[in-house]
Amino acid sequence: MLGGGFMMGAKDRLLPPSVPYRFFLAAAFYHLAGWLVLALAGPEAIRGFGGGPGPVLAALHLITLGTIAMTALGAAIQLLPVATRRPLGPVWACRLMFWLYAPGVGLFAAGLGLPVPGLQHSGASLVAAGLAIFGGLVARNLRQVSDLPGVTRHAWLAVASLLGLAVLGLALVVDFTTGFLPDHAAAAAAHAVLAAYGFMGMLALGFSYVLIPMFVLGPAVPDAVGKRTALASALALATGSGGALLGSGPLAALGAVLGLVAMGLYFHGMAGTLKTRMKKRFEPFFRLVWVAWAMLALSLLLGLALALGAPLDPWAGLWGFILVFGWLLSFVTALLQRIIPFLASMHSSALGGKPALLSRLAPKGPVEIHLAGHATALVLIPAGMLGGGDWPLRLGVLAGLAGSVAFGVFTVEVSRRYLSHLNAAKAAQPQG
Amino acid sequence: MPDMDRDPESGPPEWLAQALDAAVLDVRSMLAEGTDPFTAVMEAANAIAFGGFLVIDAPFNPSPLRRILAGRGFSSYGRKLSEGHWRVFFHQDGGADWETTAEVEVLPEGAMTWQEEDGIHIDVRKLTPPDPMLAILRLIEGLDETVRGVVVHHDREPHLLAPELAERGWHIARMSSEVVNIRLWLERL
Repeated sequence: MLGGGFMMGAKDRLLPPSVPYRFFLAAAFYHLAGWLVLALAGPEAIRGFGGGPGPVLAALHLITLGTIAMTALGAAIQLLPVATRRPLGPVWACRLMFWLYAPGVGLFAAGLGLPVPGLQHSGASLVAAGLAIFGGLVARNLRQVSDLPGVTRHAWLAVASLLGLAVLGLALVVDFTTGFLPDHAAAAAAHAVLAAYGFMGMLALGFSYVLIPMFVLGPAVPDAVGKRTALASALALATGSGGALLGSGPLAALGAVLGLVAMGLYFHGMAGTLKTRMKKRFEPFFRLVWVAWAMLALSLLLGLALALGAPLDPWAGLWGFILVFGWLLSFVTALLQRIIPFLASMHSSALGGKPALLSRLAPKGPVEIHLAGHATALVLIPAGMLGGGDWPLRLGVLAGLAGSVAFGVFTVEVSRRYLSHLNAAKAAQPQG
Repeated sequence: MPDMDRDPESGPPEWLAQALDAAVLDVRSMLAEGTDPFTAVMEAANAIAFGGFLVIDAPFNPSPLRRILAGRGFSSYGRKLSEGHWRVFFHQDGGADWETTAEVEVLPEGAMTWQEEDGIHIDVRKLTPPDPMLAILRLIEGLDETVRGVVVHHDREPHLLAPELAERGWHIARMSSEVVNIRLWLERL
């Protein structure tokens, strides 16, 4: 049996490449769109953002839903069944999830940006339907798994957070037109905590227990560490989101402290893996992982400061930026730089030829430009938010936009090289 | 598959005649049901006193198990009775009659490697991911250029291994899948 046959033999758990890749391509597209909308919004809108409808909220959701969650969905449906050795569900459900979710994000963002309530409601409904399918697929898979506590417990927390953030998110959308919520800002803060630290953060932590050791070729993180970080994270999410929703500073502060404890346990577990890794040199994508981890710590410290009474202007905006663009976007784009060529290489021997080399699938130039643009944005935008000047915000957003263009080029180029490899393999096959 | 454990010229061990009367632990049905018989075999082995015998029927030659039990003082002798049916006789005698020239190495991840007639074998079953991949890559990175192939004993289809192998000039040439024993033949490209 040739390599291609080997891959086909794994069809119960390995999705056709077009399924995860449509999520990754959509993520790259919305990443670019998010920065573009932010650039069009201008520095005054960014600095004066208080959570209401408009281009900044639209850009924020293009990044959170369109890029970060889109990546999480695409990666999870491919990697979860491989990690757990249990089937995820029918492929048609994954495709349906995409066709509900991806256009839904666009509609919802357009509805927020313009703003048009009808678009908001229809977009939010499609997004919620897509996420409901995702939650169902993941829950179905996790119910069959008794091992891998580091992954599964965080994934369960992500599913639980998804439920909470979806309910709060739909309530917030309806509240834009009806004003039924007693405290819109408190509900928005709880929604942000559950979305960023809960849904996306727990998926990031859980999958990093599989992906980081695999990518650096380090030993597995002990199950005990995963159990401890899941427990600390669950307590942090419950107290943090509860404190935000109830407007209780001490409770929210306790959540931030518990979040720091969870992060400390997570870093301790990761340090053990990194110290004894086989790959002595970190690959380029890992620079963004370092940035992401530093931003995670900073976001929790900023959250703690806010809970303890720091003024909302400018600290709330800064917390949101560091949390979304610093921690999650850095982490997601870092992993995408590795996952996209990795999956392409896995599938590249489908016709029985030699697999494409990772090093030949991934172009280096766009990765460097993206890192430079993203890092510059992470420095200049907070400087503009704190200092009040327009030019750091303008330059920062333009740097982020340039980085997103480079990331889009990277994604398309890997796909092009993968297809080129497949075409060459097809041409080399004996005719008839 | 030839019996790799003894020189065919030398014939079966002297203790085999006594072992023929021992009860047989048949693990084929457990494997067919998807149950890993390792624990049951270890429990049975632990109950054997010095000088005693253990007989196991398996659908394949359980080389890794024989090596594990050799480490616990069991000599062994295996026969292929029919297609998909092996009988292996174990004798608790300190392991004196077991492959005294065999070089069994345990890698840092806990994987065992050994040499057989068809090349180097590595058993990565029971390891937590990504340790199986680490052990395999560690092995092939340390091999001499003249070694062209490696046989891997795995308990899952290693989807994520192929890209790392390709990066090192290796690929999965073929695979056979039995319950809890997925065997991969790796070759240099």
